Amino acid sequence: MDSEKERKREVIVDFDFGSDSGAVDLSGKVHQLPCAVKFDGPCSVSQYFKPKSTGIEVDGLSVQNAYFRGRKLQGATISLPEGYYGYVIGRKSLRKRKASEESQDSSSWQVKAKFENITYWNHDTLPTQDDTFQRSFHWLTVAQALHKPVTAEDLADASTALKNMS
Amino acid sequence: MSSQDPLPKWASKPCVMGIDEAGRGPVLGPMVYGCLYCTRSYLKELSSLNFADSKTLKEEKREELFEGLKANESIGWAVDVIDPRELSSKMLNKVKINLNEISHDSAMGLVTKVLGMGVLLTEVYVDTVGDPEKYRIKLSEKFPNVKFVVSKKADSLYPVVSGASIVAKVTRDRVLRDWALEETAENMHRNFGSGYPGDPTTKCWLEDHKHSVFGFPSLVRFSWGTCTSYFKDIVEVSWESDKVDEDGATGGSGKKQLRLSNVGITTSKRKSEEIESNAKGRCKFFQARKLEQLTHF
Repeated sequence: MDSEKERKREVIVDFDFGSDSGAVDLSGKVHQLPCAVKFDGPCSVSQYFKPKSTGIEVDGLSVQNAYFRGRKLQGATISLPEGYYGYVIGRKSLRKRKASEESQDSSSWQVKAKFENITYWNHDTLPTQDDTFQRSFHWLTVAQALHKPVTAEDLADASTALKNMS
Repeated sequence: MSSQDPLPKWASKPCVMGIDEAGRGPVLGPMVYGCLYCTRSYLKELSSLNFADSKTLKEEKREELFEGLKANESIGWAVDVIDPRELSSKMLNKVKINLNEISHDSAMGLVTKVLGMGVLLTEVYVDTVGDPEKYRIKLSEKFPNVKFVVSKKADSLYPVVSGASIVAKVTRDRVLRDWALEETAENMHRNFGSGYPGDPTTKCWLEDHKHSVFGFPSLVRFSWGTCTSYFKDIVEVSWESDKVDEDGATGGSGKKQLRLSNVGITTSKRKSEEIESNAKGRCKFFQARKLEQLTHF
């Protein structure tokens, strides 16, 4: 594998925000499992995977139950933070071109589906706000603070704060 | 699912109870624990009711005896139906619970339930699961006021246990017969057979209902070794909890292997997986939240 080249190659993801490009809405159908299923492809999920509400509430999360491969999963559906969407992207389908050009397009991706909530599952433990998956959203707050443009008022506030400290 | 809702008058007299199980061996369906109790003075009459080990009786005979004991006002009974999903998930938990423990818990649950109803249990006969003496001590410690007799083949030795075996077996058969399959795939059928791994009908059913991603419908006990013989072409699934197990078990040598594989000794597919879980060089904030920056994919 020529991994060096692979790394340098640019990746283009076409989110196509403007138009309603027919991306499927998967809200309520996206699940994060505590296991790796080594399979990619369509599968009759809704016929086999049957989440049920338990009526139990923990940390403000309504707990659901499901079974997968004989294991008990306990999970909760959480909305993605305001202003964020989840996207399923796939390689851009190629218009019929010469075979030699195919490789160039392998780094072009487009949105196939989007979602506004996700159900994450723990193996055999109740979902809580302390779950890694919940905590991963902390990054959004940190990122916002890091990337927010600094205004003149911010600078003034900061220098007053510094003065008060000394 | 139990008998007499109003407590019978005789319950305040010293009572004897038998406990037995049905459906321990099958690869599918529930495991059922059943108990049957009566006064000590009724035991003689109970012996004349021709209860025998349920395995030696034909189905119609078992059904007939069950209907008989239900109608008999001198007899009380109760069951605990353990769902196959519960069996599989307990045995595949992060902290695994083996079948013997599940069985012991169910039997003790029945004793607790009957005592809680106000029945004066003085003696309880139990068909053993595991070592009889250890089991007897466990039961006696939990219920110091009850005398326990734990033995092999209790179901053919003591009529109260034979009666319990009929209660358990008939209940298991009925629950399986009326089982509402949770899955809604097409072409599913209900010819489960007995559920025993060697039963040709059961083998057929398993063959007809295996699924490359989901394995089997949840009627099947995934924790049974028999399942693996149907899973030759099954999609591999690896669990976070199992990984922790392996790492814990191998200790230092496991870490060494991990490092070697990162140098590129294993296949590229495995390599990427391990780097992913390793989070080497990533800031703690991201490590703790399992976040990784992807610059190429």
